[in-house]
Amino acid sequence: MKRLLPLAAALVLIPTAPVHAQLFGGDTEARNQVFQLRQEVQGQIETTSRGQLELAMQNEQMRAELARLRGQIELLTNEVETLKQRQKDFYVDLDARLRRFESGAAGNASAAPASGDAAPAAPAAATAPPQAPAPAPAPASANTESADYQGALALLKNGKHKDAQTAFERFVARYPNGNFTAGAHFWAGNSALQARDVASANRHFKTVIDKYPKENVAPDAMLGLANSQQAMNDAAGARRTLQSLLERYPQSNAAQVARQRLNAR
Amino acid sequence: MIKTLHAFRPLHAFRLFLAGLLASLALGAHAQLSIEITGTGASRFPVIIPIFENEGRLPQSVTDVVRADLERSGLFTLIDTGPLPMPESVPPDLAAVRGRGADAVLTGSLIPMADGRYDVRFRLFDAHKQQELGAMSLPMSPAQNRLVGHRIADFVYEKLTGLPGYFATRIAYVIKSGPNFELQVADADGMNAATALRSREPIISPSWSPDGQRLAYVSFEQKKPIVYVHTLATGQRRVVANFKGSNSAPSWSPDGSQLAVVLTKDGQSQLYAIGADGSGVRRLAQSSGIDTEPFWGADGHIYFTSDRGGSPQIYRIPAGGGSAQRVSFEGNYNVSPRLSFDGKLLAFITRNAGRFQVAVQDVATRQTTILTDSARDESPSFAPNGRMILYATDTGGRGVLSAVSTDGRIRQRLTVQAADVREPAWGPQIR
Amino acid sequence: MKKLVLPALLALTLAACSSTGPENGAASVQDRGAGVATVTAGSASGSGIAALTDPNNILSKRSVFFDFDSFVIKQEARALVEAHARFLVQNPQMNMLVQGNTDERGSREYNLALGQKRADVVKQALMLLGAKESQIESVSLGEEKPRCEDRTENCYAENRRGDMLYTGEF
Repeated sequence: MKRLLPLAAALVLIPTAPVHAQLFGGDTEARNQVFQLRQEVQGQIETTSRGQLELAMQNEQMRAELARLRGQIELLTNEVETLKQRQKDFYVDLDARLRRFESGAAGNASAAPASGDAAPAAPAAATAPPQAPAPAPAPASANTESADYQGALALLKNGKHKDAQTAFERFVARYPNGNFTAGAHFWAGNSALQARDVASANRHFKTVIDKYPKENVAPDAMLGLANSQQAMNDAAGARRTLQSLLERYPQSNAAQVARQRLNAR
Repeated sequence: MIKTLHAFRPLHAFRLFLAGLLASLALGAHAQLSIEITGTGASRFPVIIPIFENEGRLPQSVTDVVRADLERSGLFTLIDTGPLPMPESVPPDLAAVRGRGADAVLTGSLIPMADGRYDVRFRLFDAHKQQELGAMSLPMSPAQNRLVGHRIADFVYEKLTGLPGYFATRIAYVIKSGPNFELQVADADGMNAATALRSREPIISPSWSPDGQRLAYVSFEQKKPIVYVHTLATGQRRVVANFKGSNSAPSWSPDGSQLAVVLTKDGQSQLYAIGADGSGVRRLAQSSGIDTEPFWGADGHIYFTSDRGGSPQIYRIPAGGGSAQRVSFEGNYNVSPRLSFDGKLLAFITRNAGRFQVAVQDVATRQTTILTDSARDESPSFAPNGRMILYATDTGGRGVLSAVSTDGRIRQRLTVQAADVREPAWGPQIR
Repeated sequence: MKKLVLPALLALTLAACSSTGPENGAASVQDRGAGVATVTAGSASGSGIAALTDPNNILSKRSVFFDFDSFVIKQEARALVEAHARFLVQNPQMNMLVQGNTDERGSREYNLALGQKRADVVKQALMLLGAKESQIESVSLGEEKPRCEDRTENCYAENRRGDMLYTGEF
């Protein structure tokens, strides 16, 4: 079969040659030019095609790269959502622990200043101290910041209200822009209220409300402010604060407490 | 009843001849799956299932089937009380039952009927609470001993575990023997295996219709993947998707009217819905990557595998359309999603340190657990009660089927002598 | 009937004299082998076809191999794809089936999709190089028709490929 191939080729080629010769009247130059032109065009088409193939392959590589990036975004988005949820869980956990400690403290501090509203009830309603002890390893500076915060919280927990207030005030001076600063002001206010330093309590709660209105502790700080106003016998001011709390953070747990108190009066 | 079909290329005389010749050499329907229990539950119910009154009149036992089913589930320990029946009409001595260490006992009788059949009556008792848990009666012909046995086992299982049983269900799978492929259907215990389709080309991805009467699958008999729907009782087959390119991965809609399939007619592998009769193709999702392995969940979502994020991961879309949501996040190879019938658990295959293993995710919490320690697991499928997962794996280079409970404790292996078994699909519960 | 017989005869002849062409796995080879005994030579094969089976001709090579998890035609395979594209341009009566394959690891359905993607990449390349879309169909065999059945890296690489088959060869 292979042997037949050249023969067949010859058969096809032989008659064509004279036809060409007749057509072009033996003008070999023109014929060569056409042939040359055809070669050139053919070459150009092939080059273009190769270029297109190369582009297509590059396109595929880019598509794969884009997909990988998309995958990374999907992973990161999921991670952020998971972390948010975890942070929330930590808040709830810390809140539950503080609630336990505060109910104990309230028992001890029977001579607490505020009227029937029992000041400690305010922080007890807190949904969220701003940061929780993270079990994951954090950078060294964050570690000391967290440790200082923990130390101050421990003082408060042990009923050393004056010391806790001092510790939180030292904390906010040392970390004016730290991760726990809003929380430290909030707890400093609560410690001060317990230690009957109502003016300081007032100041700390106002700092939280003015500087950190978006922090989770802000609604509770308003509740704290109402408490200290009450302790200063400023019933009208306390009432205004509670109403403003309802307007600003209607969905918060603190607002629920405020609603109850306003209705009780 | 299942009719066996031979797949061949139409009008191709050679192939027709060869198919016939090879079919006669191929392994027959006698090849049974044998089941071996390789792990059991932590606490098992001790139960007494004595022989039924008059059972000796049957050529084949009923209570043997009940006992085997319960034993194999890994949730029960059977306490043998010898050959004495405990008739259904006589209240059992529950103190004596407790004395044997059993928590429950089943009493039963076969009452002969005028037409040669029997009325099978049985009662289940809790030996500790000293109360009857339920009673039933089923008519049976002597040849129906296995089916009736499975139904009784379902009854006992449901009364004692609170979950529906799965013994009276069927499974489908593909056997490869040399160059031959067979799509088989068997009872959940591996018995009564029957061949639905024989072919010399691969058969993959069987999927049960919700009514348990039909199988959709992919056959390569026309030298390319084409989706068929096959009515088991009649052997009637219908091509439902044969478009340009590949047609594959059928999954029934919960109402049985549609199939989710994967087509490449418009380019890459993408998801479409198509009528179960092959009518009305509509696109379900659009991506720049591969979308495949749709599973139409009872929760109204279609779960599927996609590499749009650079590696195959599991996503879901609402069946009525909407944006895709990624579901799997751990590892870089998560495929073959299957949702349990109650929509609570998602089973899939994950690549874990180079090994392909069955994993299960709690859909609500996203908590994921790897259930197996094998290396080549494929095609997970839930038992109708969502407690067991059937899957294909590999021992010594040969394909076998295995089942594992969703807590990973109970394990079973199903093998066929001298053949590769693969592509299992657990059928629905027919009530 | 004639229409059916001719490609079959062609296939038989091709299978009989081809040693390097791709095989559809054991099944189809047996079919052809069985057929060779009954059908004798003398079949008409066009002059262009011989080139497809001549081991010295690049056209006798039909497989484009891919890296793991990749869909890019590697530089070393470009000349082969170009040769087949040229053949298709010069022989517009010839049609081609591109079959995509994968190694056996992982999900069968996902592998079917990967095989389709490989087949599509080869088809696209042939079209960019001048072949007509109507000449080429791309399908996937996934992991179902492995050329090599060992569980080794070499074997897996052998199975990650697209095969180009002409009218009568599939």
